[in-house]
Amino acid sequence: MIFRKDDIIVNTISRILIPFIQLYALYVIMHGHYSPGGGFQGGVILGASMVLLLLTRGYDEARYKFPEQIATLLSSVGVLIYAGIGLLCLFVLGNFLDYGKLAALLHVAPAHARSLGILGVEIGVGFAVMSVMYSIFLDISTGGILPEDEEE
Amino acid sequence: MNGFLLTVGLILCFLVFLVLYRVVFGPGVFNRIAAISAVGTKTLIILLIMGYLYNRVEMFVDISMVYALLNFIGCIAAAKYLEMGKE
Amino acid sequence: MEVTLLIQAADESFRLLENARGQAVELLNTAVKLTSDTRSVEERKLQAFLSSGQDAKSAFQNFVATFVMLFAFWALLSGKFDLFHLSLGFICTFIISYLSHDLLFANVRIGDIRVIVQRFIIYMPWLMYQIVTANLHVAYLALSPKMPIDPQVMKFKTKLESDISWVTLANSITLTPGTITMDIEDGEFIVHALSQKVADDLDTGEMEDRVAHVFMEADHIYIQDVLDVARIFGEMRRAA
Repeated sequence: MIFRKDDIIVNTISRILIPFIQLYALYVIMHGHYSPGGGFQGGVILGASMVLLLLTRGYDEARYKFPEQIATLLSSVGVLIYAGIGLLCLFVLGNFLDYGKLAALLHVAPAHARSLGILGVEIGVGFAVMSVMYSIFLDISTGGILPEDEEE
Repeated sequence: MNGFLLTVGLILCFLVFLVLYRVVFGPGVFNRIAAISAVGTKTLIILLIMGYLYNRVEMFVDISMVYALLNFIGCIAAAKYLEMGKE
Repeated sequence: MEVTLLIQAADESFRLLENARGQAVELLNTAVKLTSDTRSVEERKLQAFLSSGQDAKSAFQNFVATFVMLFAFWALLSGKFDLFHLSLGFICTFIISYLSHDLLFANVRIGDIRVIVQRFIIYMPWLMYQIVTANLHVAYLALSPKMPIDPQVMKFKTKLESDISWVTLANSITLTPGTITMDIEDGEFIVHALSQKVADDLDTGEMEDRVAHVFMEADHIYIQDVLDVARIFGEMRRAA
């Protein structure tokens, strides 16, 4: 259990930095084609920003902003996006994850369709990695014992 | 310019090895945490110099910013863990 | 005979002193009640002004300010300005400012932000000059053979009010080599300094004055104090 401590410097700096860290993570995900980055790296940075929120605000307020159920849901949604795009390529009579065949659906050139397909897959991976990082940190820090269990 | 930056990079690498002495022999864990933080700041500059020497600065700027953020978060996480006294 | 007179005189003087004490206590009570009354009336007016639908409006202002700042940051990071990447940036910035709009700005007044940013940009070169001079001094201290350091811990109270100015002052002190801010406890800074010269440089309070000038603080406090005291004096003069 991490409690909130009244530390002005760390709390203020975290409050200012967290939106910038999240925006930087999304920039890394979206520009995976042109610069080092991609889905996994952006997801790790997003997870790190959530961990910073948990460390400086304490367990209760972080749980109010980002509950554990939503973390579990988001990880499954990430995997759903990944597999969903793959299945969509199957429906358009291509192979699994054959993004070129999506060109017929999106009315763009096949090369552009491949780029968009990879972007979608990276977003799914980013969601999954962020929620798993956050869940692992919560699990290790609380020891798996939630306050609801302790009250019984 | 390249020669100057190469010299600066090598001197910084030497300074990193000097700080590693504190990481290995520091009596207690707080010395080690502060030394790792200092190594992190020097690593940023070495990465940027490498990027300039390879003529692709924009790529290495991304990596340096990520490492700066993770250094900060790691230092705070280690400090919080040590403050709570292993509970 | 004289003893009785003496006792009567002492009695009389004690009664007079008692009366004077009672009057002074009454005056003090009146003054306290008047200041607290006026303060509570003013607080109620302020409360009514602030809470009249300010929550939704301030949330929207925070959202817009966060959105603008984050979009400028995105445009700075990604050098591509074609429609696809800009629309991606728009969506990402929108999601992040919607989820964390209460984090970046506590209460934003648009006219103030421009002045504060301008003054902050002028403050930075002075800070860098201080860093360079302190760096030379600490290098001289560390490299001389007998290392004349004199570590000391100093505490001082500041006249700054808001969180961000405290944090800016603490960061400026830590960035300057030779001084490190250890803690801020109830508005009191606890700073560790390496030698007497660096501690004296900090004691003059020039950095604090400059930070107060950047954030436009500590220049209206004295007028408010004079107004408070003037009310008390007026009441006491009228009661006497």
